[in-house]
Amino acid sequence: MNDHRPDPDALLLQVQREEKQGKSGRLFIFLGMCPGVGKTYAMLLSGRQHQNEGLDVLIGVVETHGRAETLALVEGLPILPRQKLEHGGHTLEEFDLDAALARRPDLLLVDELAHTNAPGSRHLKRYQDVLELLDAGIDVCTTVNVQHIESQVDIVRQVTGVAVQETVPDLILDRAHEIQLIDLSVEKLIQRLSEGRVYLGERAQAAADGFFKEGNLTALRELALRFTAERVDRDLEDIRRAKRVSSPWKANARLMVGVGPTPYSESLIRWTRRAAGRIGCPWLAVWVERTQPLNASEEDLLARGLALARRLGAEVIHATGDDIAETLLEVARERNVSQIIIGKADRRSRWKASLNDRIIAGSGDIDVCVVRPLIGRPSSRVNPPPAGRIAASQFHEIGMVLIATTLLTALCWSLQRWTGYTLPALVFLLGIVLMALRVGRLAVLVMASLCALVWDYFFIPPRFTFHVSDPEDMAMLVMFFVVAISMGHLTARLKKREIAERRRQIETDALLRVTQSAALAPEMEKGLSQALRIINSVLHAESALVVRRLDHSLPSEVHPASTLVPGEQEFGVAAWAYGNKQIAGRFTDTLPQSELTWFPLQTATSVMGALGIRLDREAQGLDFTRRQAVEAFALQLALVLEKEHFIQAVTHAELLEKSERLRRTLLDSVSHELKTPLAVIRAAIDGMGETAKDPYVVEINTASKRLQRLVDGLLQMTRLESQIVEPQLEWCDVHELLDEAVSAAGDALKHHPVRTEIAPDLPLVKTDQALLMQALANILHNAGVYTPEGSAIEVRAFHSDKQLHLVVSDHGPGLPSGEESKVFGKFYRAPGSPAGGSGLGLSIARGFLRELGGDISARNKTGGGAEFEITLAAEFMSESSHPIPGLVSEP
Amino acid sequence: MTALVIDDEIQIRRLLRLALESRGYTVREAENGQLGLQEAAFHRPDVVLLDLGLPDLDGLSVLRKLREWSDVPVLILSVLDQENIKVAALESGADDYVTKPFSTAELIARLAVIQRRRVSNDSPQLVVGPLLMHLDRHEAELAGHPMKLTPTEFAFLRSLARHAGKIVTQRQILREVWGQQGDGQTHYLRVYANHLRKKLGGKLVIRNEPGIGYRLIEPG
Repeated sequence: MNDHRPDPDALLLQVQREEKQGKSGRLFIFLGMCPGVGKTYAMLLSGRQHQNEGLDVLIGVVETHGRAETLALVEGLPILPRQKLEHGGHTLEEFDLDAALARRPDLLLVDELAHTNAPGSRHLKRYQDVLELLDAGIDVCTTVNVQHIESQVDIVRQVTGVAVQETVPDLILDRAHEIQLIDLSVEKLIQRLSEGRVYLGERAQAAADGFFKEGNLTALRELALRFTAERVDRDLEDIRRAKRVSSPWKANARLMVGVGPTPYSESLIRWTRRAAGRIGCPWLAVWVERTQPLNASEEDLLARGLALARRLGAEVIHATGDDIAETLLEVARERNVSQIIIGKADRRSRWKASLNDRIIAGSGDIDVCVVRPLIGRPSSRVNPPPAGRIAASQFHEIGMVLIATTLLTALCWSLQRWTGYTLPALVFLLGIVLMALRVGRLAVLVMASLCALVWDYFFIPPRFTFHVSDPEDMAMLVMFFVVAISMGHLTARLKKREIAERRRQIETDALLRVTQSAALAPEMEKGLSQALRIINSVLHAESALVVRRLDHSLPSEVHPASTLVPGEQEFGVAAWAYGNKQIAGRFTDTLPQSELTWFPLQTATSVMGALGIRLDREAQGLDFTRRQAVEAFALQLALVLEKEHFIQAVTHAELLEKSERLRRTLLDSVSHELKTPLAVIRAAIDGMGETAKDPYVVEINTASKRLQRLVDGLLQMTRLESQIVEPQLEWCDVHELLDEAVSAAGDALKHHPVRTEIAPDLPLVKTDQALLMQALANILHNAGVYTPEGSAIEVRAFHSDKQLHLVVSDHGPGLPSGEESKVFGKFYRAPGSPAGGSGLGLSIARGFLRELGGDISARNKTGGGAEFEITLAAEFMSESSHPIPGLVSEP
Repeated sequence: MTALVIDDEIQIRRLLRLALESRGYTVREAENGQLGLQEAAFHRPDVVLLDLGLPDLDGLSVLRKLREWSDVPVLILSVLDQENIKVAALESGADDYVTKPFSTAELIARLAVIQRRRVSNDSPQLVVGPLLMHLDRHEAELAGHPMKLTPTEFAFLRSLARHAGKIVTQRQILREVWGQQGDGQTHYLRVYANHLRKKLGGKLVIRNEPGIGYRLIEPG
């Protein structure tokens, strides 16, 4: 490959990142080494600057800690009121996410990114609020200290000895548009501390004793500086890559770390994330599931590790295989991994060392990096004591073992008359082997000990003593235990594998059945309820299904197939999961107080609704396999719903097309039938010559003109109501428009002076000229008919901020007061109006204008007469956006 | 002069016969498209009046078939007043159209215009009322006074004057004046029509038919 050519994937990534940034809001982060360096101050300062530039800047939440300079900066910036949450009798104040989303400022200031939200908030953490704001397209300014960054936690703990609990994932820092480091020398900071300008009162001293030691601060400062430098480096790298500058960057680097149920995983994951971040490459976290089931604390450690990896932006891969090294290497080769990160041997040295050795031995051209892991937090969950209490089934097994031993003893006793004492030993051994296939490890051991005792006491000479002299006999006794232990182990493994296999089988079966019942059922409703029943039985849960409406909104009622009707507030969670395409609710970081866990029903192209699962009350969490199973179910349901949706949409469209065709045909033939006789009458009158002055003919002429207007009006109305009016937008000259409208209004204006006044700077406007002209003509006609002969009619045209205004005012009797808006109703005739009108003209005018995205209003002028105003949102032509060839160069 | 009326409505045909014969036309009638085409082939009329809604063939297809071998002037009669249908008819080779119900006087005037057009095509001079255009010299006079026209304005006016009294579609003008780049740029037309109206000062009228095109007519 040519080294000078930038990697297309990398370029694409950059383009995508830019596109994504274009749509979503931008994030500005003020990074500091510790509290008190002036992050909030800097943020407020930048907020004020943006405000001066004319942006709508809003303070979402700012902690001033009572600092005077900071308080002074807050003055003058609008502050979003905090929401009050009731929790355990206390009222807590928290940042109001919904209010911020509704208010949509240009720039929102949100202090302390690492903050943990009060219980009852939508999200567990404030950074999740910020992510939602960014996705909504709002720019956000925020502050964070370096020790709160997830990938730096280990280092901070190593340096300061303080384990930080509130962390933000590195992912959010990667989304930052700009990270600004707020730096302060350690001496200055300590000075500020001692002056009490950081924390007020007693807290200052406590803080200084604990965290703010000079050594700590220096280390933290270095950390912050290095973090920022690395990021700047990476940005440079991005630019260089995009600009085809060759670089020493390894083009397709990809790191991989194994995640296991050990307390070391977390630190290995963080290390990998830091390394990947430095090179700017993707990384994988791989979990190898073995047939051996995990105990509670292992499961907890594993879940924590996987969650951390996911938070830090890893691609989490789930592989199965009993040989960890082999499986890891397989994944690594499949995914083109360039480097595998493994932990240095720990106290389980023998097993671990061999794993490391085997990975290194089999790695081939993949680099292997061995790092020293730190032991993380131990699991908070306690294992059930394995042998402390003997379960009922074990009592049963031991009973079986006792009976078997007694029977064997009886058998051997009768045999030994002929055989000597060695054969009974072999019989006992055979018994142990056979029993091992049936009972558990403990019971087999019990049996081995019993058999050993019985054989020793009853058979080995001297009989009825426990004395053993022959080394051969001794060996035989030891053999009993070896066989028992190894057989027990073997059967136990077989059994576990069988259980795991069976569970997987059940899940696969269930998925198959869900697919079949839902997708193939002739009636979707029945299929869905059957599918939900299957899901319930597999997960031992109850489920609720919420399906989106045709207009893509989520209703607050469950689909009838649901087996549970959740509470009112659950629908909010469902809507969030649906809207954000993320799992939410119980056992997640979003709205964890809810009763159900909600999964979005997501297909490749759309989200069809949400599936709520309520696990039984004792459930501790949603483990990885279960979560995957539910996600698979959700996908199946989503596909079924989507298919149904498409079928409906197609049928609907076909129906619409059919009825539309019918309507058009009908309309065409009706207009033909009505207009032909009219044409004959009109042409006949035209042809009469002198006879046309006959008073009878004049009456016919007038009536035929009126009939023609009515027919035109009715046909236009019908076209409007059947929604087959399709505006053809083109550039229009308002001068032309007014002239045409006046001539189209025809005889009605014959006896009225019409004055038009067009703003001199009125540019061309993009609209359907024919429709707008017809609307205006109808209004003019109306004005001409309803005002006394000789009175003037004025038309004014001007524009304001993307709107065209056309105002028609007359000097007639005005509109009946209180009925100004009724004049646009169909067949409305003002009381006492002259005969001849159809009551359709104004209604049609309004119909046409609404098709064009405008509207019309009517009012009485203070000086008498009526005034109709057309407002039309339209595009105006500007010289710069639509240059006209030939115009610029010519005089 | 022979006029061929192709319309399925007997009353319309009778009326048109009356009106046209009184003005010196010989009238032939056809009640459907097939017969109409036969009539046109056998009797070589000087002008054709064609209804768009015919029982056997669509009026537009009759027009297209006719245009395969004849350039006889064609006036469309139709009850449909949707712009797209009028544009389609004009672009398929119709010379003008009249919407039913129509006034007889207007119909006769249109017929006269589309027949006149055949006369003066090769002359280097174009005369429309008070307007005289010297096509060879790119100069124009209005009521004896020279007009100051930019090259684009001249081309625009020439395009209209060549078919004076008759509608010229937007696309036709854009193509003639701006070539390929003109397609769809209706705003050029608005701007230049406005300029020209000012320069013509009401001695000639440029009338816009929304969505269809322009017509250069003498006032009154």
